[in-house]
Amino acid sequence: MLLSIRDLKVAFRLGERGTVTLAPAVSGVSLDIPEHTTVALVGESGSGKSVTAMSILNLLPGNAQRSGVIEYLGRDLLMASLSELQALRGKEIACVFQDPMTSLNPVFSVGQQLAEPLRRHLSMSKRAARERAEALLVEVGIPEPKRRLASYPHELSGGQQQRVMIAMALACEPKLLIADEPTTALDVTIQRQILELIARLQERHRMSVLFISHDLALVGEIADHVVVMRQGVVREQGPVARIFEAPQDAYTRALLACRPSLTHTSARLPVIDDHIEGKAPTRQAKPKDPNAPVLLEVHALAKSFFLREGLFGQREFKAVRDVNFQLRRGHTLGVVGESGSGKTTMGLTLLRLHEPTAGEVLLDGRNLLTLSDSERQVMRRRIQIVFQNPYASLNPRFTIGQTLLEPMTIHGIGAGQYERGRRASALLAKVGLDDSALGKYPHEFSGGQRQRIAIARCLTLEPEVLVLDEAVSALDVSVQAQVLNLLKDLQDDLGLAYVFISHDLAVVRFVSDEVLVMKDGEVVEQASAQQILAAPAQEYTRRLLGAIPRGYQGAS
Amino acid sequence: MWAYLIRRLWQMVPTLIGVVLLVFLLFKFFGADPAVIVGGLNATQEQVAAIRTQLGLDRPWWVQLLIYLREIVTFEWGRSWATNEAVSNLFATRLPATLTVMVPILILDTLVALPIAMWVAYRRGSLSDRTIMVITTVALSISFLVYIIIGQYVFGFQLGWFPVQGWSDSTLTNLLTFVPLPVLLAVVVGISPQTRLYRSFFLDELGHDYVRTARAKGMTEGAVLFKHVLRNALIPIITNIGLALPGIFVGSFLIEVFFSIPGLGREVLLAVNRSDYPVIQATTVYLAMLTMLINLATDLLYKVVDPRVVLK
Amino acid sequence: MSAVLPIAGATPARSEGVWRIAWRRFRGDRVGMVSLFIVAAFLVLIALSATHVVARHWQQEVGVPNAPPTFLGPRPPEDLGTIEVPKGPNVDLSDVDPLAPRYREWAERAARMKTTEAPRMATLPFGGDRLGRDVLSKAVKGTEVSVFVGVLAAAVATTIGTLLGAAAGFLGGRINDFLEWVYNVFTAAPDILLIFAFAAVFGRGIGTVVLILGLTGWASVYRQVRAEFIKHRNREYVRAAEAIGASAGSRMFRHILPNVSHVILVRLSLLVVGFIKYEVILSYLGLGVPVDQVSWGTMLAEAQAELILGYWWQLAAATAFMALFVTAFSLMADAWRDALDPRLRGAD
Repeated sequence: MLLSIRDLKVAFRLGERGTVTLAPAVSGVSLDIPEHTTVALVGESGSGKSVTAMSILNLLPGNAQRSGVIEYLGRDLLMASLSELQALRGKEIACVFQDPMTSLNPVFSVGQQLAEPLRRHLSMSKRAARERAEALLVEVGIPEPKRRLASYPHELSGGQQQRVMIAMALACEPKLLIADEPTTALDVTIQRQILELIARLQERHRMSVLFISHDLALVGEIADHVVVMRQGVVREQGPVARIFEAPQDAYTRALLACRPSLTHTSARLPVIDDHIEGKAPTRQAKPKDPNAPVLLEVHALAKSFFLREGLFGQREFKAVRDVNFQLRRGHTLGVVGESGSGKTTMGLTLLRLHEPTAGEVLLDGRNLLTLSDSERQVMRRRIQIVFQNPYASLNPRFTIGQTLLEPMTIHGIGAGQYERGRRASALLAKVGLDDSALGKYPHEFSGGQRQRIAIARCLTLEPEVLVLDEAVSALDVSVQAQVLNLLKDLQDDLGLAYVFISHDLAVVRFVSDEVLVMKDGEVVEQASAQQILAAPAQEYTRRLLGAIPRGYQGAS
Repeated sequence: MWAYLIRRLWQMVPTLIGVVLLVFLLFKFFGADPAVIVGGLNATQEQVAAIRTQLGLDRPWWVQLLIYLREIVTFEWGRSWATNEAVSNLFATRLPATLTVMVPILILDTLVALPIAMWVAYRRGSLSDRTIMVITTVALSISFLVYIIIGQYVFGFQLGWFPVQGWSDSTLTNLLTFVPLPVLLAVVVGISPQTRLYRSFFLDELGHDYVRTARAKGMTEGAVLFKHVLRNALIPIITNIGLALPGIFVGSFLIEVFFSIPGLGREVLLAVNRSDYPVIQATTVYLAMLTMLINLATDLLYKVVDPRVVLK
Repeated sequence: MSAVLPIAGATPARSEGVWRIAWRRFRGDRVGMVSLFIVAAFLVLIALSATHVVARHWQQEVGVPNAPPTFLGPRPPEDLGTIEVPKGPNVDLSDVDPLAPRYREWAERAARMKTTEAPRMATLPFGGDRLGRDVLSKAVKGTEVSVFVGVLAAAVATTIGTLLGAAAGFLGGRINDFLEWVYNVFTAAPDILLIFAFAAVFGRGIGTVVLILGLTGWASVYRQVRAEFIKHRNREYVRAAEAIGASAGSRMFRHILPNVSHVILVRLSLLVVGFIKYEVILSYLGLGVPVDQVSWGTMLAEAQAELILGYWWQLAAATAFMALFVTAFSLMADAWRDALDPRLRGAD
């Protein structure tokens, strides 16, 4: 056994002056990491998985208190002195973190940062270190390694930065690699590359990997053992086959069931708490009317940004080029793409939050892009938007009541304050929250609840079209399921039309009728949801599909 | 690079024009009548009128502005109303004294404040951190005047370690005899704000992810602090020094007044008391030019210190 | 727009807003509470002074020149070493003295008039200055003037800086370019130089000092407010407000400003401290408050000459009052900033 964690408890001291409170993060976790194996530590946000991993090398902030035993090759790391830990770090146990842009030092070159652990632990000379650094870059698959040694982190793409992080971790041939959500901040296609890289390196160097993630499907592909955590405790652990095929714990089962699947359609997604209690999803799929009136028509929509270059020149950056689609009442158009594809810009342009450079957007026959200001106010009632970040889309200084009343007051909906208050309460009930929310502030709610409040805010104006810009991407799997179900319920009840923008093809498939695939501002493929998944025509779409993690596939 | 330089120099022009406009309009419309000032208290009406014609004050204001601009461009600033000394000469003779005092202050301030700030930031929340913060707060609450008054009294008058006032022609004598006391007092006062400022820079850097990565690689705390954090903190520190540089040319006028050092700050103060407009105007415009050049130099220095900077 | 809605049934309780939470956190900070108490005490003192309840007669010369403080005891009388007064009756000059016939008339008239001359006190509570004025009264009055100038000037500078910063940051475009030009012009010359230039032109007086400091101090507030508005204008809650149709003014002042107010408050407190110190220096140099007013600066100006002669009480009084107030204010502002800091506040 390489590393053994027994009954680890971690708590954080909060509050500097005056009152001090202790917030527990991990409450008694035990897990084992054998040699030459990949152990996956899975959990949602707040489960304590990162804290557990960071405790091993004591990379926690200064106000953390640990207790328990972490045994590594016969030594208790919790009792180790700082210099002993420093001798271990980077040499026998190394780390790769989630965000490579901020984890790399911006003022030192790649070569300098790679050479650091080599010179510190292996006492290499400068030249030897440089040669080894170059070899490492080759191994992690960075093209033109010699030139890259002199590059700075900001000159590399996200995927390349992560490869450099991995190279840095491998430098001294560690026995254990701790990877804390290493692919979460990357695009789907890059994710797959990094995942395969880690798996390959684990094989070749015969080291162990502790892989932390929130995505069970992702770890299913590379892990040998899986540990599932929730709210600071371990719910289940065991070999990957057993976890996927015969999960014992209710939470694990719920986690597996709540992901929208790529293979079969369902009307509603099961929600974790419901699943644990054994409740089945209640609503059935309502068939969509293929002849519903066309609400939104977009022709040749384009948006360019102009950047200053040289002494007096300008450079045109085409964010969106030539987008065309039709959206019927009660239907959903899914827009899929990776970062930089222009999907978000396109969504914002539909509402004229960005001014388009060309094209037309027809809402019920009227071109939105040529409206006068007063007409634009009226238009705002008919097409609304829900943003990605639930923590940023509500004004932190407004109560929920104020947030919900503002749009009604601006547009003069409802006869008076009393009437508006009633409408606000009714909408909150519709999204699954109660009246007590009206007097509260956003920071008292979770991400999923805030997103529901944001949806309620849109609904105060009784819109016909709702643009959802990565509305569920920042949410945990279980919460995602709740919000997606809510969106489907609202669509069935109110006849809303959605433009659903996301990078997650599985989620898009669950909600959409028609799908648009975008890359670099252009529409690469456009077809019905079934067709995209069953028989993708374009190479890029196939690659996107292939990059999606499928979970454990059984003996293959 | 050259495109950047040219663009920056080109952008300085409107700002400079703005400063000149500000100074000109301020003195023209809010200041007292220059003819009366130059004439003095006992001048007769005819004398004042004659002076007015001589100074060109009877011409329309935009003509005066043009004359003003021409004078600036040709560096022909006229003469001080009080001493009739050419203003450019004033600069040339007073500047060295100011610099002899202010440059050591700037250097010492930074060199002493940096290690204290780093140490305190590293041990944030500890007793030493809180103690130093309280000490600096109290020290900052006492006016510079008090330090100088007491310092002069104790060290110069009572103990006799340093001369109370004075200046000489030789730079060496100045540095050894007349400069130590003022520099000592200024540094004691200046350390407090600098330490607090640098502390906030270091705290900021210590919160970044790359610090955790450096620790994860097994670097000692010393290497983390002095190699990784310091190098990144240099960026705001250099900004700060760049911002402080123009200030040293006016010098600490208080020091120059108290210690009778013939520097530029004291000169400006005298000019204010004597309503010597040309001196004040000229100093303002010259220093504005100097400030802009220093800013440009600082920005160019950024490129060396921060590889992310792209000069466009 | 009230947050409590008239809904049928129970009125939902309003949760704690940002300020209430910050106040609770502030209350737990002992240093902060003590400082707040001291600052409040000073403010009461200033109010009393402004309404002439205390320190009304600070200008009256009630003590002997340079009277020592009471706890030191009176100064021993000086031996002046005059010549002895000759004894014996005066010589009678009435036959040659032209005024002799009027003496009796004048003596009668003088007897009818009264003058009161209060005896000069030998010691005062905290000593007297060279004219014999009570140092303690001067210190209290000086507090009123210096603090008033500092706070008012800071308020002026903050208001100008906030309005301009909001406009430049949020509206951008040509307004931003113009305001950036104004900012560059005002910050092109060093602060002190600008203050001197204004002082030379505007002269002395409390109002002018407030104006001068306000006109030179807005730049730092502008910079910070502009940066904050630029940061917030792209935040999603502002985009959402735009999407529901809120006007630009509403977005700037109803949505963004409350989110930025804690930053502005911190900067305001920094300015107050800075301006008090500037005022002291200006008054010391004779460029600040007029001659018939007293501030900490004028006290320090007099104190310098007195120190050589060994009279230290005016220096001590001015320094003590100033140090106590500024320290307490700074510590209180620090505690407020920590209480408002979003990073320590919950899960934001």
